[in-house]
Amino acid sequence: MAALRTVSGNTGMISLFLLCVIAAAKSDEQVPLVAWASDGFALSPVNAPSAGHTVSVEELESHLNTALRTAPLSVDDFTLYGGVFGNKQDSVFQNLEAALLSSSSLWLPSVSSSATALVSTLLQNQIDAAPLYMNPDTLAQLRLNASVAALLVFRLPYSGGADMMSTKEVLSGNDEVIGQVLSIMKAQSVPYTAVFTALWPSRVIEEASPAVHSVWSRSLLQSRREEPTATNPPLEFKEKGSTCILLWAEKLVVSQYRSGKWERHDLAPKTFGEGVEPNLSGSSCNETHSRLVLNYEDVLNYRSFKLIFVMNRRHYKVSARHWFTMDLVHLEYDGKTATFNGSRYIYAPAEYSYRCESVSSSRYPQLSPHSDKDNANDWQISLHDFQIQGFNVAGKDFSYASDCASFFTPGIWMGLVTSLLMVLVLTYGLHMIMQLRTMDRFDDPKGPAISVPQTE
Amino acid sequence: MLVEWMMNGHAILYTGVTLAFWATILIVGICYTIFDLGFRFDVAWFLTETSPFMWANLGIGLAISLSVVGAAWGIYVTGSSIIGGGVKAPRIKTKNLVSIIFCEAVAIYGIIMAIVISNLAENFTGTTPETIGEKNYQAGYSMFGAGLTVGFSNLFCGICVGIVGSGAALADAQNASLFVKILIVEIFGSAIGLFGVIVAILQASRLGDIAKKNFNDIMFHIVRYR
Repeated sequence: MAALRTVSGNTGMISLFLLCVIAAAKSDEQVPLVAWASDGFALSPVNAPSAGHTVSVEELESHLNTALRTAPLSVDDFTLYGGVFGNKQDSVFQNLEAALLSSSSLWLPSVSSSATALVSTLLQNQIDAAPLYMNPDTLAQLRLNASVAALLVFRLPYSGGADMMSTKEVLSGNDEVIGQVLSIMKAQSVPYTAVFTALWPSRVIEEASPAVHSVWSRSLLQSRREEPTATNPPLEFKEKGSTCILLWAEKLVVSQYRSGKWERHDLAPKTFGEGVEPNLSGSSCNETHSRLVLNYEDVLNYRSFKLIFVMNRRHYKVSARHWFTMDLVHLEYDGKTATFNGSRYIYAPAEYSYRCESVSSSRYPQLSPHSDKDNANDWQISLHDFQIQGFNVAGKDFSYASDCASFFTPGIWMGLVTSLLMVLVLTYGLHMIMQLRTMDRFDDPKGPAISVPQTE
Repeated sequence: MLVEWMMNGHAILYTGVTLAFWATILIVGICYTIFDLGFRFDVAWFLTETSPFMWANLGIGLAISLSVVGAAWGIYVTGSSIIGGGVKAPRIKTKNLVSIIFCEAVAIYGIIMAIVISNLAENFTGTTPETIGEKNYQAGYSMFGAGLTVGFSNLFCGICVGIVGSGAALADAQNASLFVKILIVEIFGSAIGLFGVIVAILQASRLGDIAKKNFNDIMFHIVRYR
């Protein structure tokens, strides 16, 4: 920090500061930060952080000269769009690269996003100048005084829905703005230090939860089992003292399509867990009909919200056994109802429970809206690691779980049938060819050779 | 004799494969029964979950391929006899080509039916049995049935005509007056292939009147340009 002040005093550095619009970030997310300086100016040498280390507020302060900020940025964006795989012409960071190559630079791949949020404050404190919010047009009109330190903030354009402009176009646009600003600074021969970063990352790499076996990354087994999370017991509905319905799910996500986007809410924390007692009033069960009603309050801005599972048990003649099906799943919200059919996929013999990794109305749907006009068309349900039993419950444990995943999928069966047919054909053909023999009935090695007359 | 038969390499291979297949089926069946997982064996699930397109295309494939097998078998049998007999009795060569043409007709029936059936295959929307609808399942199974019908009929018709044609060629080589009589037998043999085509058309025609129109057009074409 002392070195910084000296530097600013001596060369009258002008700082450029670009800031992007919008919201606060979660404190545990990381954003990258890159800083560089114009010719004739060197960044104070600093130890590069070790790989994987997240730079905190204090460390950033000590690293920092000035900052350029922009739209959400991730390290992956530099890798993806920076032309690092030999395709230099596809790089969207042409101007940035040119600037970095021409001068000394500092690269911090992982800075805590709460730190970058405070960059402008840090710089203000260091330079004792109030930030000026600008864009390239206003910069062209501004006469920069090389002897006075100034803090310029540029908000790089970022369009509000990620689906309107692809990340590549956004970064390319940002790079153009950077190029314009740098060329203006160069034209006015003003020495500067620039910082380019973001308030929050464009893609968040989720940390693998220690209790779950991560298939995407390898780690020491010891590090995974730091806090073994106990699984919650299943939800029980008791009628007349004995348990009648059992339910378990890892996630119970309901989403409603409102004003152009899906709003999600996970009901599992309010349903399962130590000391969680969800309201089950309205549930009932008997020999042939089970109904589990989960009552919630204040879900997705609805005062009363109910999730209802309706199951029926019937005898089927052809298989001569009882099966249960989850015929309907209702969502009741402030008097309105959304109904999903589930009987096509959610079935099991009545003695067993039904378990499925994913019961949803969106991906590989097992639940479909009751009709075209039903409110369910605006809703999506997504139940993860779902297990339910509505009949034949003995105690508080599930019976054998009939899984929704079959041994072979229909696709595999189709492939097997077709392959089998072709193998049969091949076998038959091979057999025929292999038993072709030349006729040797009239071979007479001692007799005269056959004479074929030339003319008829 | 059994030992001799067993010594044949092919027989060992086939018995081995068959034994392995049935042993697998038996063991899997026993395991499912012991663990009360018999409900997992679900033929209806198989028939409704597999795509009707698979059945339709299997039908089309079988229609043409089995017909061609029959025609090829017949031609090979007849052809060898004609060529062999023609060595000593060259006069039989030209007349006996009629037998080859009867066999070829069987292949033509096959390709006509394959084209007719494939023209009936259309895209459909729907992923569940309810949305796919009975009509589409019926279409898939009808096409499969039609293809199978015409395929197997033509297969055996072709073999039949071929063997009879071979006999005709050899008899003709001995005695020219026998040829016409044997030709009548060949015509009966050829008719059974036609039966297969007719039944297949009936099966496929439930899928629309388009089938009949196509068939008429194509038959007209064939008759005119033969």
